[in-house]
Amino acid sequence: MADILINVIIAFLAGSLLLGLHRKIMARVQKRPGPPIIQHLLHSLKFFFKETSFPKTVSMPFYIGIVFILAAIWIVGVIVGPVAHDSLLILFGVYAVYKIVEHNSGSSSGSPYGKASCVRAVLSAATELPLFAAIVLVYLKTGSMNIGNIIGYQSTNGPLVFSIPLAAIMFFLLLLSKSPYSPFGITKDKALISGFETEHFGFLRGFIMFSESISWYVMLWVFLTIFFGPLSVVGYIIGMIIITFITGFINAVTPILNPNHSVMSQITIGAVCFVGTVLMVLI
Amino acid sequence: MLNYLVYLLTFVIGSIWGLLYSYKLHGEPYIVDSKLDAKTCIISIVGWNLGINSGSIILGGIGFLLAGFVMGERPGYGRKETAIGLVVAIIVYLAHLKW
Repeated sequence: MADILINVIIAFLAGSLLLGLHRKIMARVQKRPGPPIIQHLLHSLKFFFKETSFPKTVSMPFYIGIVFILAAIWIVGVIVGPVAHDSLLILFGVYAVYKIVEHNSGSSSGSPYGKASCVRAVLSAATELPLFAAIVLVYLKTGSMNIGNIIGYQSTNGPLVFSIPLAAIMFFLLLLSKSPYSPFGITKDKALISGFETEHFGFLRGFIMFSESISWYVMLWVFLTIFFGPLSVVGYIIGMIIITFITGFINAVTPILNPNHSVMSQITIGAVCFVGTVLMVLI
Repeated sequence: MLNYLVYLLTFVIGSIWGLLYSYKLHGEPYIVDSKLDAKTCIISIVGWNLGINSGSIILGGIGFLLAGFVMGERPGYGRKETAIGLVVAIIVYLAHLKW
């Protein structure tokens, strides 16, 4: 239990600092000074002490419940990943539920912005296809869905990124789509204010930001673990910072795509990488 | 994992402390400060070295507190000092590695 608690707090703090770094990198690329790296964490904590108001149009049980479900699923992500080294399928389930949360969070708010974001959340489920394909390819290569076994496989056969690089690109696409201000982040397009989060204030927004920090940490951890083999803590820190740098740079110089282009780009890249990896595995 | 939690917490506390301190010290609008502050440079070198190279949870915690203090200063301050501290600590770390 203590292990879970420690890992969740580490995930929250490390995820917040990485997201703060992400904002800083984007700002520096755009020649702005940018906020301090600690800013994302301070924002998250600030919302817990802000007044929470409830719009009249909300569907109350969903509106509040969904926020706690969001926090719960990413805590499950921490337990399945860094704590237990369990099955990748559970993590796929976590990500699938996350999409449902995006959908319901938007629709329960009663706001037109939230509802538009809710519709886009259905479209953006396209990001699950590359994720699922990447997991299938890892299974084909290693013969296991268990993270512990995949680490073991890599310690004897070398990191998977060298044997199935296209699957790693597919997974990276998921990371890119989940990063803030992503070209694929159609649910949080600024045309929709804050998308499905628009009507969540006070401690509810604090919980959403808490969950986002954990989710960024968990996804980076999973990516590094299943493609870069057994890593030391220093390896994880360097890897997470490098990926945050790369996504920050891409997001700073790339405008957000419209929903159709976003979905088609992800499916096309996913399909090409999937076929390419299957060919590589067979040949 | 407890030691990494301590390091993260002390780094965060140090960053908040540094942010508050530097805003008290520099209330002016944003400027790019190109001068090197010797005091914070020493704090940064000591902090990053203790944090990365001490191997002790208490000294490491103090180190990351100091490193966070310099790195967490308001935008425009503490950048060069952080870079110098980090580079020195990494060189010391690499020098102690068994190749």
